[in-house]
Amino acid sequence: MRGIVVHLPEGGDGGAVTLRLGPGERVRFGRGSSAHPVDLRIADEAVSRLAGEIRATDDHWQLSNLSATHGYLVENPEGAGEYLRIPPRRLGAPIPFEFSRVVLPSRRDTPVSFQVFAPDHVYLDPHAVGGSWESRTLTAYSLDETATYFLVLVALCEPWLRDRSPVAVPTTPQVVDRLRGHPACARLTARAVSAHIDYLADEKLRIGPPAPDATGRTDRRNGKREAVVGLALKFGIVREEHLTLLPPRGEPADPDTRG
Amino acid sequence: MMRMSHGPAGSWDSDGPELLPRGHRVGDWIVDEPIGAGGWATVYAAHPADPEGQDGPPVALKVMPTAGLAPRQARNVAESARREVELGRTARHPRLVRLLGSLVLTAPDRPSLDGAIVLVMERARCTLRELLRSPVDEAEGARLITGICEGLAHLHRSGWVHTDLKPENILIGEDGEVRLSDFGFAIELSGTHGFSAPMGTFDYLPPERWNEPLGEQGVRVRPTADIWALGIVVHEVFASGAPPFPGATPTARGAAVREYAEGRLPLRLDPAVPEFWRAFAADCLAPTHAARAAHTAERLLDRIAARTTAPSRRRLRRAVRRSAFVALGLGAAAGGLLWSYAGPGGVGEDAVRIRVFNAERGCQDRTDRAPECSLGLAVDPMRPYTAENVVPTRVWHGDLLDADCRLPGGQPIVDEEDRGSSVWLRVRLPRAGTPATAWLPEVRTRDRPALPRCAGPAYPARPGLTGMDPGEPDAR
Repeated sequence: MRGIVVHLPEGGDGGAVTLRLGPGERVRFGRGSSAHPVDLRIADEAVSRLAGEIRATDDHWQLSNLSATHGYLVENPEGAGEYLRIPPRRLGAPIPFEFSRVVLPSRRDTPVSFQVFAPDHVYLDPHAVGGSWESRTLTAYSLDETATYFLVLVALCEPWLRDRSPVAVPTTPQVVDRLRGHPACARLTARAVSAHIDYLADEKLRIGPPAPDATGRTDRRNGKREAVVGLALKFGIVREEHLTLLPPRGEPADPDTRG
Repeated sequence: MMRMSHGPAGSWDSDGPELLPRGHRVGDWIVDEPIGAGGWATVYAAHPADPEGQDGPPVALKVMPTAGLAPRQARNVAESARREVELGRTARHPRLVRLLGSLVLTAPDRPSLDGAIVLVMERARCTLRELLRSPVDEAEGARLITGICEGLAHLHRSGWVHTDLKPENILIGEDGEVRLSDFGFAIELSGTHGFSAPMGTFDYLPPERWNEPLGEQGVRVRPTADIWALGIVVHEVFASGAPPFPGATPTARGAAVREYAEGRLPLRLDPAVPEFWRAFAADCLAPTHAARAAHTAERLLDRIAARTTAPSRRRLRRAVRRSAFVALGLGAAAGGLLWSYAGPGGVGEDAVRIRVFNAERGCQDRTDRAPECSLGLAVDPMRPYTAENVVPTRVWHGDLLDADCRLPGGQPIVDEEDRGSSVWLRVRLPRAGTPATAWLPEVRTRDRPALPRCAGPAYPARPGLTGMDPGEPDAR
């Protein structure tokens, strides 16, 4: 249990903010004022000075809506439209999503939002049989096999699982290409694939820092990619049976015609 | 990993693994019934197939199927079995469940079980989890925890970390004594730490586990991880199985462990835990590896032993082992205070000088040649080590002796640190007399000189003993 990550993207008149909350820790968000100090400042006139509170609890988090008038939405960006509505003055609503986008009403064209990641979700081991899960030995790095990051991971590992004796981990454009046929990945961008790999490496597998002799940004990212694949294969996080999650292989894409 | 619940057969999931039927023969054993299942294995009760062996001790068969697994998973299962076998071979101890053998199941008619790896183990009466369903009084709890500490101390001394210590994996043998089991995740240390697959049981994971990065070889694991788990178990023993951290689920308790380690939650142990054990558990549950490192299994054992002025079980046990060394020949010790060594020319061509080692810590720094720190030498290494079988001459820690040959297969001797050996070294006694030589148990020296095996004519050391062939190492 390491807690959650709150990420407020760059925008308005502030830069991006990332906060990490351990279990039991809380942050307050809102427009803020000297009377109502907040940890996460959201500069939008429609947002209350003290708009709400986020508390990391167990493997998930709770959202308190401290506004007397506005309801908030918590969307699951991977949930095909899945969302929760948190009415005004609701305290401690448990949020079950691993990825959440908290949407606050705004008078602007685009609503104000920030993201919350809860990477500690626990999953039962595959092939587990009988008995209570509570006393069972678990893989301490459980992954959601229905999440997009898992598809990215399977695509990265595919050459090894098919025993192709690969020479290199697939590149980001190759992963985008490989997953294009999947209904959930039709609009997957290269940037999103890179973000998924970072999330896998930093939050899910907690891969150690790159070797000190690593040079340059590109190399570091490649090193991370290789480490993710190596660990996923070594510890059986991705197995042959997961290949069925990938869309059927189409015609090999012609690199020249790709946008 | 293993749950040894003796639940009714009806509790087995219908989509669970195919089970071996009662009466199925596995190697030299006949399957009775399943008694537990874990992620990778099913455990069966079994008895010897040989009708002669009907009265033989029942065994537990841990069956780990590999059929239908992807090659990498099959490798993991094989690796887990290999670790158990390796540990069972190299780190035997009365407090560890005994591995009696391993085999590969041949069952062509049951494809899902064909090729399964089977570990044959000593059968236990129940698990500690089952024992904790009824209250445990302080004396019984102390006995159980001492047993667990002895097992852990031995594992750590042998260079292993259990990594999955919990009441489900602590068995109670037919004799009522503790047997640590389930070494499928045990790891061998290289230096101060080893690496394990990222696995564990939530309620027993130390707080630092959540921060340890996953490296190429896995997560870093140190013996202090077992000490943390021990702290949880100690609390459970005295608190009717209740875990020390608050929360309704293992996830909630895992979060509470992090809050505690980050200083936002105090440690609140159940007042039902007796005072000594509360302090003991609190030290095992020190929030960081560094703070826990001082509390090694060895030192925790000493602490238990020192708990009361009355001799504890451990001291008694030591005393029993040492009785032959100590109680005998005190008079001799008082007389011949100094060991007179053979001069430089006195060492024979083929003799090697060895240094006596006394595993009793309190004796290692003493130079006063106190009788209670003296060690004995046997007249005859093949006979039980009793009063009649000890020469009058005593030796002390650090003494130098000349050894001229080694004899495997003598009376097994276990020292205060539970090192055991049935090898004896023939040493020369300093003063010419009868006998001119005596026998030092190999556990009484840390030197491992290259010595020839003792030849027949020179043995036995004392005239009048017959019927033993020293050429047969396992003649006992």
